[in-house]
Amino acid sequence: MHIIAKLGIITVYPGNANSGVIFMKGTLTKDCYRSFQGTSWRERIDVRDFILSNVKPYYGDSSFLAGPTERTRRLWEKCRELLLEEHKRGGVYKIDPRTVQTITAFPPGYIDRDLEIIVGLQTDEPLKRAVNPFGGIRMADNACRQYGEELDPQVKEIFTKYRVTHNDGVFMVYTKEMRRLRHYGIITGLPDAYGRGRIIGDYRRVPLYGVDRLIAEKEADLNSPRLLTIDNEEIVRLREEVRQQINALHDLKKMAESYGFDISRPAMDAREAVQWLYFAYLAAVKQQNGAAMSLGRVSTFLDIYLERDIEEGVLSEEEAQELIDDFVIKLRLVRHLRTKEYDELFAGDPNWITEAIGGMASDGRTLVSRTSFRFLHTLENLGPAPEPNMTVLWSQNLPQGFKEYCARLSIETCSLQYENDDLMEPIFGDDYGIACCTSAMRLGKQMQFFGARCNLPKCLLLTLNGGREEASGERIAPNVYQAGPGPLNYDEVWPAFQKMVGWLAEKYVTTMNVIHYMHDKYAYESLQMALHDTFVDRLMAFGMAGLSVVADSLSAIKYAQVEPVFNETGLITDFRINGDFPMFGNNDDRVDSIAVDLVRLFDQELKKHPAYRGAYHTHSILTITSNVMYGKKTASTPDGRKGGAPFAPGANPMHGRDQKGALAAMASVAKLPYHHALDGISYTFSITPNGLGPDQESRIRNIIALLDGYFLRGGHHINVNVFDRELLIDAMHQPEKYPQLTIRVSGYAVNFVKLTREQQEEVIERTIHSRGLS
Amino acid sequence: MVTGYIHSIETMGTVDNGGIRFVLFLQGCALRCRFCHNPDTWLAKGKAVTVEEIIDQLVDYKPFFDLSGGGLTVSGGEPLLQPVFVRELFIKAGELGIHRVLDTSGYCRHGNLLEVLPHTDRVIFSIKVVDPEKHRRLTDSGNEEILKNLQEAVNSAAELVVCYVLIPTINDTDEDARDLSQLIQSFHRKVPVQVLPYHKLGVVKWRELGLQDPLAKIPPASSEQVKDFQRQLVKYGIAIYR
Repeated sequence: MHIIAKLGIITVYPGNANSGVIFMKGTLTKDCYRSFQGTSWRERIDVRDFILSNVKPYYGDSSFLAGPTERTRRLWEKCRELLLEEHKRGGVYKIDPRTVQTITAFPPGYIDRDLEIIVGLQTDEPLKRAVNPFGGIRMADNACRQYGEELDPQVKEIFTKYRVTHNDGVFMVYTKEMRRLRHYGIITGLPDAYGRGRIIGDYRRVPLYGVDRLIAEKEADLNSPRLLTIDNEEIVRLREEVRQQINALHDLKKMAESYGFDISRPAMDAREAVQWLYFAYLAAVKQQNGAAMSLGRVSTFLDIYLERDIEEGVLSEEEAQELIDDFVIKLRLVRHLRTKEYDELFAGDPNWITEAIGGMASDGRTLVSRTSFRFLHTLENLGPAPEPNMTVLWSQNLPQGFKEYCARLSIETCSLQYENDDLMEPIFGDDYGIACCTSAMRLGKQMQFFGARCNLPKCLLLTLNGGREEASGERIAPNVYQAGPGPLNYDEVWPAFQKMVGWLAEKYVTTMNVIHYMHDKYAYESLQMALHDTFVDRLMAFGMAGLSVVADSLSAIKYAQVEPVFNETGLITDFRINGDFPMFGNNDDRVDSIAVDLVRLFDQELKKHPAYRGAYHTHSILTITSNVMYGKKTASTPDGRKGGAPFAPGANPMHGRDQKGALAAMASVAKLPYHHALDGISYTFSITPNGLGPDQESRIRNIIALLDGYFLRGGHHINVNVFDRELLIDAMHQPEKYPQLTIRVSGYAVNFVKLTREQQEEVIERTIHSRGLS
Repeated sequence: MVTGYIHSIETMGTVDNGGIRFVLFLQGCALRCRFCHNPDTWLAKGKAVTVEEIIDQLVDYKPFFDLSGGGLTVSGGEPLLQPVFVRELFIKAGELGIHRVLDTSGYCRHGNLLEVLPHTDRVIFSIKVVDPEKHRRLTDSGNEEILKNLQEAVNSAAELVVCYVLIPTINDTDEDARDLSQLIQSFHRKVPVQVLPYHKLGVVKWRELGLQDPLAKIPPASSEQVKDFQRQLVKYGIAIYR
């Protein structure tokens, strides 16, 4: 490509862009790629090759880290005041109900222009939320109203009269059956009225290549034989999408220009690299209000720039940390306008700005760099916070110093989650990121169609009630079995349940196909997809809630006597249980094997039905905080759980049923087969400081042993919380004392005080391992 | 097949700075300590398990022990009321390279202890109070046997820690500290003392068992009180185990 772009005073020769040489008014001033190694990444878009060619693995400890600068302190103090005010105003600081959010809709915004070294806000003011009606106008309208604003009538008119939203599209196509399953919460939390998220743009491409090079590559794709042979709908769609991607890249440049930056060329130094990367992410969260808007895996990428500057003597450790601190401050201020119902599902206003940190390269080197530490260190410099969602890719082979630092931060901040790199790297390679909580995907090469989850216990009740919904009595599924009086027979219930899961899987997959067809059509993520390869792999991520409830229920039916109690209309209202039965979470194969079978069954049944755009089916055992809401909508189950009581989160054993302590609980969860649940298996582990060990040194050693041991057994994900129940109870009663108290829930971290009372109580009810010996 | 009667299993015990430990609580104890936090282990019932069953589980968790420097702890109840079971268990665990801790009150027949000691890596020996009269009041039994057994543990090759639960107004006087120190100093080797604060977590269990908590009016020991007592011991030249 020999395109010459005029860019103000700096002229880039993309003909030479591979070398990153920049000319100022024709004179060579500085080479963006100076001292970088490797060739492949220069020739084609290949961030992984750039990282592997230039990474400096760091094997030391955390002693090199620098505290916050005075500037950082002052800036963060301003933000804390704003955040406090936001909390006082009921969770929303301000809404602009008139401006439809796009990449370029808002003029530049600042927290304090003189104090910021990394700039850019979603709107023209910090914490001000914009309206994004592309997913659904009702959602936007309701959200405005719930927070005391009126959505601009013109915006409403445009998106009702002239423009179809994603939500409209979906409901035009939904069948009666789909609506019923949705209405009764059999499949629920579906992204049919809000942005689906879970797509990770490879934001690193912007600093590494500059936007012009990315545009040039996309233009080249449009003119490649694969996209010039227009013989089917998919090619037409893709051509349209790539053109939209190119438009989005132009908008991204424009947005950066409004802040006074020219990002058409590659970043020249560390500050630019952080800024360019942040602009790319910012454009994504302007364009999309997706449920989970992950960052990817940026810290070690940025490390290459930071270390180069440090080596050149133009950047100190303090200044390097300051850049990361400032970047993280920005990430902590990302806001979307949501409804209160949404908050019931995903509590605490999360964005899942998930940053994957650490892990190993395929060649055996660690990808832990000093900037992996610097990123985590923001939890100390700025205090704990749920965002960004710090996700450590754990390997047995991580450097000891890094393991120790992570362990210490877990004890002190409860803000980290861990995922098994030794399990994922062979499947996803060494340049994957995590979307949302547990969804691995190759960065820039794979995307995901997010599919929420189905309520598995409700599916069991549906089976036992002959296809009738247990509360209303409405027949919504086929009658494959009807429980009669007397004890349930496992040999009848299990095959019937399998049939019901098979039936549900078909409905679930087709519902997802509808949703994602429409999301692509009406709320396409053109900016994020511009930061993917044009020919991208697609995953479709399903999910289940209530695994331990169903496993225990089937175990009760098998090993104890479970008699249903019927009401006058023949619906089961409760169960009488006689005898003991093994419960999931005690490392007892009799019931753990049932849980394993359930995971496998669900996977196999989903895969029988083709997914939209040839996507590969995956599924997760993850509930976010929706386990509370799901439980509320589910009647009593055969395991003895009473109607309305919460499910355990994710793949957790039910509260209080894991009687043998943490190792047994972990062992049960680790048996669940990751290769049959490739979207992730979430386990939330809580322990008291004393339960973890008598002093800091032994606590750190024990956490490391727990993580190594759990992952060695094949565990996939774990949230680690270290706190006393009394602390949470105090925070529930006196929230003002704990503005930054952060805890891990299912797959993300949350400000405890932002949870609803019900959710707080559920967290407090959870098993907190505490039993010592003396 | 040797069978033992257990109260419960805790797969992750972490106290005593001994890494992650698989703690087996055996059922049955002959002492009736007023401050017992596991009164539900007193009576000799419980669930029957074989040595093999426990060993299978230990093998399963061995990586956690290796990674943390942990292992097996047998507690209770009083484990030495089931010496054959503990002995077999310790022998097999030893063959697997699993570190073995015996957590005992020492209140058992002399022979019982001798069966287990050679296969034990560390003994945590709980001394309630040294003064025999106080001991009788606190536990319904004298401590002559216990002290004899302690001497046996001192003479063994196992690492030894004396554990002392500090109960305000009961065993926390200057004399108590002096008596304890003199006892420890009479040994031919240095034995560290672990001072644990009396806590009220067992109170619920007393209630559940329909028993009157005899120490209902005694508050838990504060960390200050523990430190004070430790300072006294240090004054007498005793090493503190943390």
